[in-house]
Amino acid sequence: MAEKHKPAPMVDEVSEFEVLEIAVRELAIEKGLFSAEDHQRWTEYMHTLGPLPAARLVAKAWLDPEFKKLAVEDGVKASLEVGIDWVNSMPTHFGTPSDYCNLRVLEDTPKLKHVVVCTLCSCYPRPILGQSPEWYRTPNYRRRLVRWPRQVLAEFGLQLPDDVEVRVEDSNQKSRFIVLPVRPEGTEGWSEDQLAEIVTRDCLIGVAVPKPGKTANDPRPVRPAVNPYHH
Amino acid sequence: MSKPHYDREHHVKKATGIGDPQCFKGEAGAPKFKVGDKVRVKDLPDIFYSRTQVYTRGAPATVAELVYESPAPEDEAWDNTDKVTWFYSLIFRQKDLWPDYPDAFDSDTVETELPERWLEPL
Repeated sequence: MAEKHKPAPMVDEVSEFEVLEIAVRELAIEKGLFSAEDHQRWTEYMHTLGPLPAARLVAKAWLDPEFKKLAVEDGVKASLEVGIDWVNSMPTHFGTPSDYCNLRVLEDTPKLKHVVVCTLCSCYPRPILGQSPEWYRTPNYRRRLVRWPRQVLAEFGLQLPDDVEVRVEDSNQKSRFIVLPVRPEGTEGWSEDQLAEIVTRDCLIGVAVPKPGKTANDPRPVRPAVNPYHH
Repeated sequence: MSKPHYDREHHVKKATGIGDPQCFKGEAGAPKFKVGDKVRVKDLPDIFYSRTQVYTRGAPATVAELVYESPAPEDEAWDNTDKVTWFYSLIFRQKDLWPDYPDAFDSDTVETELPERWLEPL
């Protein structure tokens, strides 16, 4: 008899954070900070974003030294050439508090490898890279990358020689970052389209390097902690 | 008593079409530090809000770039945009942040941005 009356499996359709978001959103609409239409337009705009423009920016920089110089000096201006207007993107027209308009393009060299993290929260260059992957927002990645960068990169399958400087970029203020990796060997004579294909999101965050033939992100490895939690 | 008037749109009016932090350009005055300067991060109290990571407190660093002008987050969190300050991109040696960082990777670094008020000359 008991088996017949098992409760239906519980499904958490809405998480606590989602309830919180809905509550704050409805308050903001009620107070007139923005309208329901604004919110819908913003949500739809967010869903159109992805890492393709940033990949295109890197491919252009590989092919054109002048453009590379511009990208490193003024990332916001360089973004215009790949169709991303940081300043006038809808709907706020000045960048939201979570998407300030100061893009910095970090240029790797054979002796310097950048990798981006936001230890405080999850700052991410969303206008040019889309929504951040789930692992980028986890405390695991945020805490450990500044402390054990080489171990964390190794978990992503990226093992760097001892003489390469690993520079962790902790995105804590109004700048947003993408990595401009070194152009890999075996891509001589490639077109911009071909080059853009191998610049994956992970390459732009800095946890991977581009390789000919590799056009997708690896699944994020999940391993139990091996280091003590104290320093 | 009359209801105080508060302009909730002052930031929108200032930043629209210009961008943030671009809209604060030219308001911070002369920067105290220049590229290449050695600085130390002050260990200031942060009762309500800060974006200065605890791991940087008291650590030496080198100024890599003067990135932009903006109110410090401790002020901006309360919508106080009166005191605009320079922001510096700083490079820390990993070894200075974590004393037991492996010697084999002596050249590894962390780069992050802090407002002027958190820095003192070294």
